[in-house]
Amino acid sequence: MPMTRLPPEIRPVLESGTPAAMVTCSADGKPNTTVISRVYYVDDMHAALSFQFFSKTIRNVRENPRAFVCVWDMAGHAHWALQLEFERSETDGPIFDAMDMQIEAIASMTGMSGIFKLRAADIYRVLSVERVQHPRWTGTEFAN
Amino acid sequence: MSNQDSHRTVTELERKIAEVQILQRVSADINSTLDLDEICDAALRTMDELFEFHHANVLILEPDHRTLRVIASRGYENQAIGGRVQVGTGVIGMVAQKRRMMHVSNLGQQRAYAAAQRREMEKAGRGAQLGEAIPVPGLPNAESQIAIPLLIRDDLIGVFSIESPVPRSFGEHERDLVSIVANQIASAIHNARLYAERRQAAEALQEANASLEARVAERTAALERELRVAQALLSEARSRVEGPLLGGSAAVRQLRDGIARQAERNEPLLLTGPAGAGKEAVARAVHDGSGRAGAFIFVSCPEVNTQYRHAGDAMTSRDAEKSLIASRFELASGGTVFLDAVHELPQDLQRALHARLERDQDRRRRGEFEESGVRLIASTTHDVRQPPPGGFLPLFQLLIANRLNVPALTDRREDIPALVDHFVRRHARRLGKVIDGVSADSMRRLEAYSWPGNIRELRAVLERAVLLCRSTVLEVDEEQLNEAVAVGSYRLVSRLGSGGMGEVWLARHRFLVRPAAVKLIRHDVPPGAAREQLVRRFEREAQVTAGLRSPHTVQLYDFGANETGSFYYVMEFLNGLDLHHIGTRFGPQPAERVIALLRQACRSLAEAHGLGLVHRDIKPANLFVTRLGTEYDYVKILDFGVVKDQSGRDATVLSNQDIVHGTPAFMPPEIVMGETRIDGRADLYSLACTAYWVLTTHTVFEANTPAQMLLQHVQAPPVPPSKRSELPIPKQLEAILMMCLEKDPAKRPSSALQFESELARVPCDERWTNERAQKWWEVHAPEVVGE
Repeated sequence: MPMTRLPPEIRPVLESGTPAAMVTCSADGKPNTTVISRVYYVDDMHAALSFQFFSKTIRNVRENPRAFVCVWDMAGHAHWALQLEFERSETDGPIFDAMDMQIEAIASMTGMSGIFKLRAADIYRVLSVERVQHPRWTGTEFAN
Repeated sequence: MSNQDSHRTVTELERKIAEVQILQRVSADINSTLDLDEICDAALRTMDELFEFHHANVLILEPDHRTLRVIASRGYENQAIGGRVQVGTGVIGMVAQKRRMMHVSNLGQQRAYAAAQRREMEKAGRGAQLGEAIPVPGLPNAESQIAIPLLIRDDLIGVFSIESPVPRSFGEHERDLVSIVANQIASAIHNARLYAERRQAAEALQEANASLEARVAERTAALERELRVAQALLSEARSRVEGPLLGGSAAVRQLRDGIARQAERNEPLLLTGPAGAGKEAVARAVHDGSGRAGAFIFVSCPEVNTQYRHAGDAMTSRDAEKSLIASRFELASGGTVFLDAVHELPQDLQRALHARLERDQDRRRRGEFEESGVRLIASTTHDVRQPPPGGFLPLFQLLIANRLNVPALTDRREDIPALVDHFVRRHARRLGKVIDGVSADSMRRLEAYSWPGNIRELRAVLERAVLLCRSTVLEVDEEQLNEAVAVGSYRLVSRLGSGGMGEVWLARHRFLVRPAAVKLIRHDVPPGAAREQLVRRFEREAQVTAGLRSPHTVQLYDFGANETGSFYYVMEFLNGLDLHHIGTRFGPQPAERVIALLRQACRSLAEAHGLGLVHRDIKPANLFVTRLGTEYDYVKILDFGVVKDQSGRDATVLSNQDIVHGTPAFMPPEIVMGETRIDGRADLYSLACTAYWVLTTHTVFEANTPAQMLLQHVQAPPVPPSKRSELPIPKQLEAILMMCLEKDPAKRPSSALQFESELARVPCDERWTNERAQKWWEVHAPEVVGE
């Protein structure tokens, strides 16, 4: 699949630190869905995800580099659907440092220094991006 | 360009203009003040206008570089001024550690995420790995936070942090704006701190300057005072030391030779000789001739004594040694310390000084440097050829090993013309007078005079004569000489000795030309209670002695006060020796002689006791053995100065004093114990102690300190005198003496007369006859019987 560019409108959404849903697949095609705290904007062709714990997601990505991420834009009443492909893992450099600084700031306040820790910054290439507008929520959708 | 595009462009342009205006204003505001509060106000206002952030903290890096302290806080309900954040903790701490701006826009969510992770770990039993949550100053419910390091030339000085409870993203442009403001804040804070530091330094400098100026002024004034005092002292010292070494007599030539020899030596030197003979001049000459680089320090031991006694219990002997002796040695470093009248130094200090000298001596023997490289020269008017009872103290033992005698003026009479010439010229020059010389009569008179006060007296007489002189030829008449040393109708001839009460002088009546002994109150007792007490004792002694008629009691001729206020009394002049000198010079005396002497003393005491008087200080030095006409070994009791009147006439005067009178080696136990009812039996105890000394030349008790001695009088049984003498002592004599030495007065003979009759019954192999006494004096002290 060819690469695509991230539109400028997605950057504030990513930088606002909104949680996202991420779907990966194992080598034998078994899917896994998880929630991630933040998708970092690297440049208009790359995004980064934090690798903090050894998890099913990490294992899947190392086996099968494709991933699907859904980022909610609360203010815009929309979500962004991104198809990504794992490219590399960084353990130093400016991207790693920026992500590490934020994680360590939180960890140090919450008594989790050394536990809540960035192991690597996983850099993904953006394969596709799509903005899906939601209908306005009136607050009565779940009313009986 | 569509209308919509052009509208967007205009809006964008307006926004940027507004931003620039805000930045210009904040720049102006921040840079116009050095007040941290005003800087923070301006920064917060800017953050509000630009990003609608209402909460801000400014933190400063502490000198330890591990902590940040909140110095300004805006928008918080509970301001966190003074709150601290560890570098590396939380957003602010991490910004300080990494020195990079951080923007967090989902703090709540991240905290929640971390909290969820904690819960998971606790559930999984890994809670022990978790640390304590650390609170940091700021909004508890902040969603967005930007923290910017405040840097001055790459040095971190603090962190600027703004927070909002609303989630907020920041683009690159907004981050740049925040950075600009942060840079302004950093500069302003830096400037403010520099200004504060410099102002503080300037104030400190000003304060230090003022203090320094005051100290310099104070020190200058003190130095000027010291200089004036030093100049006066130097001038006075020069006047004292000029002259005494002039002359060509054999005595002064010998003295100059001695000085030259002594100048090459380092060990302590004792200068002996009468008062006023020029011992200080000799000490200075030895110092000058030695080429020593240090100072010559004069120490008056009578003054040291006074200071020591005035300090009382407030000063231990160690303190006294430090402040009164060691300090002088420090001052003289490499020079000479001159202890004038060293016999007046308190015994404690003598011991301390002796220890110091021994240390120096050991070092000299080992070829090492001495502690201070100071040479000690001491002077005394005491006759060091005669050790006192119990021997010399260690200091004197050490000092007398190297001594130099300074002759009396009468031993160098041929120097008088040269000395007179010198002093007259000097005094005349000082007073601006022209005096060509001294008349021949006056010179003859000066040469013939006895000069009891030696060169000091000569200088004083000439000074006075020059002052009164109205011609170019100086006249010194008899009156001027007499006036210098006259008391009442008596002219003082020479000093016979000195003691606790004062000095005793040989004197002659102006008209009767009868020799007499004049006792003077010491002149160095300062006015005050001690002096008044001494004067009262003096008067009492004179009155009591005048009332006694026994031929064995010294006869009083006169008493009173002279023009200078000194008290004196004149008593018969006795030619002979006291028992102390007899025992010291000639050793233990035969029992029959002691009995003969004691019986006479008993007769004197019997009269005094009969009048209700107790002597209280009977001792060998107060039993004077003289020749009276053809009678040799005639005893006279001296020194009724501490007599106690039993009749009660003046009992309170003496008995109310908190002073123990007497001499420790001869003191009866009831006086030691401070009993108020003392009778004649106290004197019998002391008389027995005296007899013990003359028979054995040992005191009844021997001790290292007066206190120990006194204690033994109260507690210890005496050793019989026969055990301590090689001469035979009749048993009956020993028995009667041991009876007198009973602690309980009731067990002693009831009176002096009973004691005398007991002594009369003691059988002796040989009798002590007048012929034996005459022979003894002719052999042992021909100068006494020859006069």
